[in-house]
Amino acid sequence: MKVARPKRPAWLFTTIAVAAAGILFFVWSGSRRVWSPGDAAGMAFGIAAALLVFVQALYPFRRRFAAYPFGTAQRWLQFHIYGGAVGFVFVLVHEGFRAPAGFLGWALLLLSAWSTATGLAGVWLQKWIPAMISSGLNVLAVFDRIPELVETLRSESATLAAGSSEMFERFYSEEIEPALAGVNTSWDYLLDVQGGRERRLAPFNRMAPFLAETERERLAGLRAIFNEKLELDAQYSLLRILRLWSAVHVPPAVLFVALILYHAGVSLYYWRAP
Amino acid sequence: MTSGSTAPADAGFFSRAFPHALERPEQTLSLAELAAVPPFAGLAETVLKKIQPYVLPARYLAGETILREGEFSDAAYYVLDGVVEVVLKNLPTHQQTPLQATRSNSRVRSLSERAAELGATAPRQRAIGKPATTSGTIILSDILHEVKLGERVLLEAGEIFGEISALSRYPVSATVQAAAETRCLLVRTPALRILQRSAPKFKEFVDQRYRERALATHMRNVSLFAGCDEQFIARLKERVELVSFEPGALIVEEGSPADSFFLVREGFVKVSARSGAADLALTYLRKGDYFGEAAILLEEPWPFSFTAIESVELVKLPRAAFQEMVAKYPELKRELWTAATDRLETRGRATRHPVESEYLQMAIDTGLIHGESVLMIDLNTCTGCDDCVRACAETHDGVPRFIREGFKFQNWLVPASCYQCTDPVCMIGCPTGAISRPIGTTEVSIDPVSCIGCGNCGRRCPWGNIVSVPFSHPVLKKDIALATKCDLCLGRDRPACVQMCPHGSAIRVSFKDVAAVERLLPALG
Repeated sequence: MKVARPKRPAWLFTTIAVAAAGILFFVWSGSRRVWSPGDAAGMAFGIAAALLVFVQALYPFRRRFAAYPFGTAQRWLQFHIYGGAVGFVFVLVHEGFRAPAGFLGWALLLLSAWSTATGLAGVWLQKWIPAMISSGLNVLAVFDRIPELVETLRSESATLAAGSSEMFERFYSEEIEPALAGVNTSWDYLLDVQGGRERRLAPFNRMAPFLAETERERLAGLRAIFNEKLELDAQYSLLRILRLWSAVHVPPAVLFVALILYHAGVSLYYWRAP
Repeated sequence: MTSGSTAPADAGFFSRAFPHALERPEQTLSLAELAAVPPFAGLAETVLKKIQPYVLPARYLAGETILREGEFSDAAYYVLDGVVEVVLKNLPTHQQTPLQATRSNSRVRSLSERAAELGATAPRQRAIGKPATTSGTIILSDILHEVKLGERVLLEAGEIFGEISALSRYPVSATVQAAAETRCLLVRTPALRILQRSAPKFKEFVDQRYRERALATHMRNVSLFAGCDEQFIARLKERVELVSFEPGALIVEEGSPADSFFLVREGFVKVSARSGAADLALTYLRKGDYFGEAAILLEEPWPFSFTAIESVELVKLPRAAFQEMVAKYPELKRELWTAATDRLETRGRATRHPVESEYLQMAIDTGLIHGESVLMIDLNTCTGCDDCVRACAETHDGVPRFIREGFKFQNWLVPASCYQCTDPVCMIGCPTGAISRPIGTTEVSIDPVSCIGCGNCGRRCPWGNIVSVPFSHPVLKKDIALATKCDLCLGRDRPACVQMCPHGSAIRVSFKDVAAVERLLPALG
């Protein structure tokens, strides 16, 4: 299995360099005076972090307006990822690497950390899952069509089993049909895309010696259908994880952006107030 | 979406508007009728039986267009009675071939600009390309006569036209229309190929026409001969032999004595070499490519085998003529040596890295070699987000031109999306000329205003990449199923599917550039 490396190493190195420069500035500045989020340097990092977060938040809008040629989606995603990482470091520098004072400070810090951590987890998932599917599965289907395809397989298998011997029919109705009833999801596929395939196909091997020669071909057909179903299960489970991931990442990130706006508004109000 | 088998929405209306355009029950001629037609006189009954399904009578009213300049055709026309007129309006000095075709690199235009442009330009005009600036005599590859720009040439009963376009898959070089009510026999490409094989006189006739009208132009389109003077080309073309091969035929076998140099005139040729028990595909050659230089320059037997992938037409240059050419133009020798060493290098690399050969074999087996811009998705990085399909839909008024399903090879998915073939057979026989490819570009597009939804292009596409989709027709003001296909997002700087893939998994590959395919796919795989 080949898991893709960073597509743009230059982005990675730039991110590391910018983040390191920010931290070094904080260390240098901290050695000369006490760091405060409200002084010029602290505020500059806060504003930079906020700007980075806002630009990142435009990425979903870029996806919505695909008909317009505002650069490639890949470039936007790269900025979303690396800009997010730099933004988090800038949030920490803005805070002076200290525990925040109030509820809003804690909420902003935790949401920032959560968005960054889940974002990085998403990067890993988006590299790991396609590589797993590509290397371990032969059947390929569009996510939304998988339940429909499973139903087709169930119907095909029922046609295949119809009119067979009693033993075959019993084997089909007790061991195979329930497993074909719908898509079966499992988190296990995240670590093993084959998901105990051999074990689950073993009943076919056990059954074969008891069947007449004419029915073995039918059994082989059923085995192929069952194997395809297991592949669809694995694919559905893995693609579903990617979809679940966005539910974990997006709502807190939206809340984070909203709180930043509130925080900026409040800061501006008190800064202008006498 | 349904695959392209839709009937026209209003057959009555269209049959009145295009009286001889739409497909109708085809009536073939009896064997006796066929034998009475002069070009087929004296042919054996077995040959007549073979060509019978592909020879069809057609009637054209005065003024009706038979062939359109810039289009592709799959038939030669024999005039039974009546008169046809050859009209030459816009033709570049040298007939352009898809060999130089590249995707148009136009600036990005707004949607309103695009709409205005589409509305203002007739589809045929776009197919023809830029107006010619020449005003001299132009030799038409398909027409027996030399035509001066603005002159009319009339062809009467007993004349044949269009056979070179049909056999060589070059765009038709002039518009031909009926000057009076005319009856023609359409001799379709399969029949032409059978006649080439089985009727020596017919082959001699076609070859002579090709030699006289098109060979020099085709040779000048090959970089190798670009520097040769006219006199030399004229002498050379008298010495060449025109040879044909059926699909799968072995043209030359590795290890056999080399006595000729070949120029590919039509079709694809597989180049392979033995490696143990395996036959490794090294590369493939297409129209305009040549082979044989390595064997003759090295004075050794053929270092490779050459096999016809499909019907192949070759120009065969004898060893002596080749050596004369090399002696007269020493600079050619350097180019030939470069080509020869490249091929030998390829052979060495393929032996060391057989996986590259697998990709080439896959491209040959699946027909991808025809593609000038094939959408391929790297499954190692594709998350299945379908942003590519959504972007496609958004660019085409909500109707996507492909879905993310197709065939898989190793880590690559080739979705059912138009390959933009070098020889777009979908363009053959479009009754309204709605499907077109601007000369010198890659994209084949369908004009929704001219399309009548007959499904001809969808049936002709060998890969099933043209589908019929219900549309509200802008002229008829009613819903009909029109043919749709990928048009590479005309007007954008790059196709939306590629631009909007967040992971860079969607790429466009031109199988015309074999070296790039060999480098790109295994390296990413």
